[in-house]
Amino acid sequence: MAAAQVSAAPVSTPLVEELLASLSRRKASGQVAAAGQAGWAAARWMADAGVTRAVLADDPLVQEIGLPDALRRAGIEVLTWPTGQAKREALGLEGPPDVCGVTVPALAVAERGTVVLEASAGHGRGIDVTSRHHVALLPADRIVQTLAQALARTFDGSRPVPSAVSLVSGPSRSSDIEKISTLGAHGALTEHVVVIT
Amino acid sequence: MRATRQKGQDDSEGDTRARYPTYTARMRVLLMRTCLSDAVAPSVWKATRRVLQRCGVEVTVPRSQTCCSQPAWTAGHPDQARAVARHTLKVFAGPEEVVVPSGSCAGMVVHAYPEMFKGEPEEEAALDLARRTIEFTQFLSKHGLDPGPGSSGPVTIHDSCHMLRVLDESASPREALEVAGCAVEEMEHTDRCCGFGGVFSITFPELSARLGEEKARAAVQSGAGEVTSCDLGCLMHIVGVAHRQGIPLRARHIAEVLDR
Amino acid sequence: MSTWRRRDAGGVAYSDVEGTLRERTIVALSDRTLRGNLDTAATSWGEGRDAMRRDHGLDEMRERAREIRRQNIRDLPALLSEMQAKVREAGGTVVRAADGAEACRYITGLARARGVRVVAKSKSMATEEIKLNEALEDAGLEVVETDLGEWILQLAEEHPSHIIAPAVHLNRSQVADLFREEAGTDDVPDDREGLVAHARVRLREKFAQAGMGVSGVNLGVASTGTVCIVENEGNARLVTSQPRIHVAVMGMERVVADWDQAAHILQVLPMAAIGQDAANYVNLITGPRREDEADGPEEFHLVIVDGGRGALRGTEFEEALSCIRCGACLYSCPMWRSVGGQAYGSPYSGPIGAVITPLLEGPASPASRDLPFMSSLCGACGEACPVGIPLQDLLVRARARASSPATRTSGLAFRAWSRLWRHPSTYRTWMAGWRLMLRARGKAGWASHLPGPGAGWTQVRDMPTRWPPRR
Repeated sequence: MAAAQVSAAPVSTPLVEELLASLSRRKASGQVAAAGQAGWAAARWMADAGVTRAVLADDPLVQEIGLPDALRRAGIEVLTWPTGQAKREALGLEGPPDVCGVTVPALAVAERGTVVLEASAGHGRGIDVTSRHHVALLPADRIVQTLAQALARTFDGSRPVPSAVSLVSGPSRSSDIEKISTLGAHGALTEHVVVIT
Repeated sequence: MRATRQKGQDDSEGDTRARYPTYTARMRVLLMRTCLSDAVAPSVWKATRRVLQRCGVEVTVPRSQTCCSQPAWTAGHPDQARAVARHTLKVFAGPEEVVVPSGSCAGMVVHAYPEMFKGEPEEEAALDLARRTIEFTQFLSKHGLDPGPGSSGPVTIHDSCHMLRVLDESASPREALEVAGCAVEEMEHTDRCCGFGGVFSITFPELSARLGEEKARAAVQSGAGEVTSCDLGCLMHIVGVAHRQGIPLRARHIAEVLDR
Repeated sequence: MSTWRRRDAGGVAYSDVEGTLRERTIVALSDRTLRGNLDTAATSWGEGRDAMRRDHGLDEMRERAREIRRQNIRDLPALLSEMQAKVREAGGTVVRAADGAEACRYITGLARARGVRVVAKSKSMATEEIKLNEALEDAGLEVVETDLGEWILQLAEEHPSHIIAPAVHLNRSQVADLFREEAGTDDVPDDREGLVAHARVRLREKFAQAGMGVSGVNLGVASTGTVCIVENEGNARLVTSQPRIHVAVMGMERVVADWDQAAHILQVLPMAAIGQDAANYVNLITGPRREDEADGPEEFHLVIVDGGRGALRGTEFEEALSCIRCGACLYSCPMWRSVGGQAYGSPYSGPIGAVITPLLEGPASPASRDLPFMSSLCGACGEACPVGIPLQDLLVRARARASSPATRTSGLAFRAWSRLWRHPSTYRTWMAGWRLMLRARGKAGWASHLPGPGAGWTQVRDMPTRWPPRR
């Protein structure tokens, strides 16, 4: 395993660097990982965050990077979308508190630290907000510079528009009490983006 | 250039003429006294004239002028305002620049006259006057005029809202004071409204006075002891609130500070 | 709970506010806590906005934003038709409501027909305007505001004081007391993080029960029939993903042509509103969930409210329709900063509220006709507006349109004034008389009691009778 990590060092680009800087400005975190290590990297981040259950988007990438396997080895329970959970459990009112939603963004915007999540059969509208933690698995070639570019690509008229597209820029927060930003209002308290090269 | 004394339609009083003769100059302007200066502080327009004359500008103060009509305009009575403004258009007809010792009155002519006379027979005249009208310190700055030494200060400057946001000007009063060698101590939030607001000062007196008090205290905290501004209305309000509240603060219009 | 924010149908302003506008400003001015809270909020906003101007060229983005919005308003009928067609194409329902009552009737009827008991709402000025909460409660439904600030206000039974930050006039310990009362326990933390976490759990219980989610719309994008809902907390996403029915209520002017325009406005909005270059969540919703999707509402209803907006097109007030409800003019306004939004007695406070409330209500409405006069016309609002609405000009025009006993009295006074001041001789006579009066009233250079119109002046301040004034 150690040898593999050395042999496939992640390749960074200016866009990736800018995205990581923006994420940190948004009080999210990010890291770059080669495809072979991305599953382990995500699982390790979750384990460190105290995650005990992961809800995974049903996206081929999740399997490709071996995430379910890595999670099980880290002792984290794995559920795949749609989970079939009852509403109270899906909302975190029952079951373990430290659930992590794992999404696969369609795009990301480097200059403002935004991931673009599209609803689909395998990707629920609420995966990231219903959970306490959010990990996004982002292939590096999906990063664009500006919001305008991301929106132009998402709504380019070449396919039916998804019913829900969410631009997520950092963990949930509220400034409604004394105008001071406080994290974790309704959505995820933490957000971590694994950029896969 | 310094030569003949002019006799015009000038309604100036003898004393100032004796000390500062009016010169024939390359530059000739009309001075709008403003109704507030007429009502409360004639010394303001007189100081304005003296400073301009010291710069070698020939100043005519049309005797028949009254008011730019802003009180009625901002109170929501455009028809009544237009009737007075029509008179002002006539009084200030001509090719000269019209100098106004008030950012608010200048802003009224520059910004509101075109709207007020849109579609009216005087539309052209209104646009023409709007083009020729300029606030006093902006005039000094535009033509690079040096009136010589004024008060030594220190003073603090209140940026009147219409000067700052209608005329988009905050540099010219500071420049004028610097040229005159007057020390300036800036106050905090100098760009914040003092709460005067014309009719607002009478319709919402408590709110108006609260903002005036904040401004007066900020002015005192600057350490200058005297507040100046391009707008007499703001100063009357600030110093009036200060006097009522027992806040020790002096006030003079910027023309008076530049004058001596 | 059933009595909170009660208002009569019709009209935009709240009907339960007490006293005249001026009296309300006096009450607010005496509230030291309120002043402190407002100052904290406005200062923090100012710092954020300065950063946006410095680092992101917010000022340079204004001209394009203004052009986009002005063009949108000119093209409004066509944009709305396109929006309507696209939403229907995506499987949604579109309802055009002429006024708030019609919108409320539709939404309550829908809730009844679907057997809804609990309605979860995300922050929406439009629903506040049309008094939807009252209508739903009258129909026997439980309504829960899920935006933290709005929920706090719901518990406090108060009206919002800011478009974006509704509870900005309350501080942390005031909030903690409200939460304790709601939860029926003293076991509520005092710190901000703890309060936010407490609300999260309480409100998730409501999300679990809600049969209908009601959101506002920040922007409708005509080319795809998408509604954009901008937020920071994540509650709007829950509102638009958890309940079986999603109803989006949109003021008819909130539509842009395409995604190029939307991108620009969506960037400008958070910069102006909260001093950040991005909001945390932007939810772009196009119709109900597709057949193969496992979550999301089965029904999507877009309710487009006119409520007097359409009549403003082509008038001297048309630019007021460009507003994107960012709240920047509120924070920038010295009046709003001094008395807060509640004194205005309308969901729309501050300069934009003082312009549009009477426009939507009619010039003679006692609840809002004084609003345009509560401004010194300092222009800070126009300067702060990210879409370049000339707010101080609109305030002046709104004053000319207002009709009340006060405006009639002032009309008579200014008629006399105009007669005297348009002639130099009568003007000079008036001035001579005035100066005599000043001199007669002055003691040691100051007058503290003036007659007539001067009485309003000397009520709170002295009048210098010599200039420069004596100390």
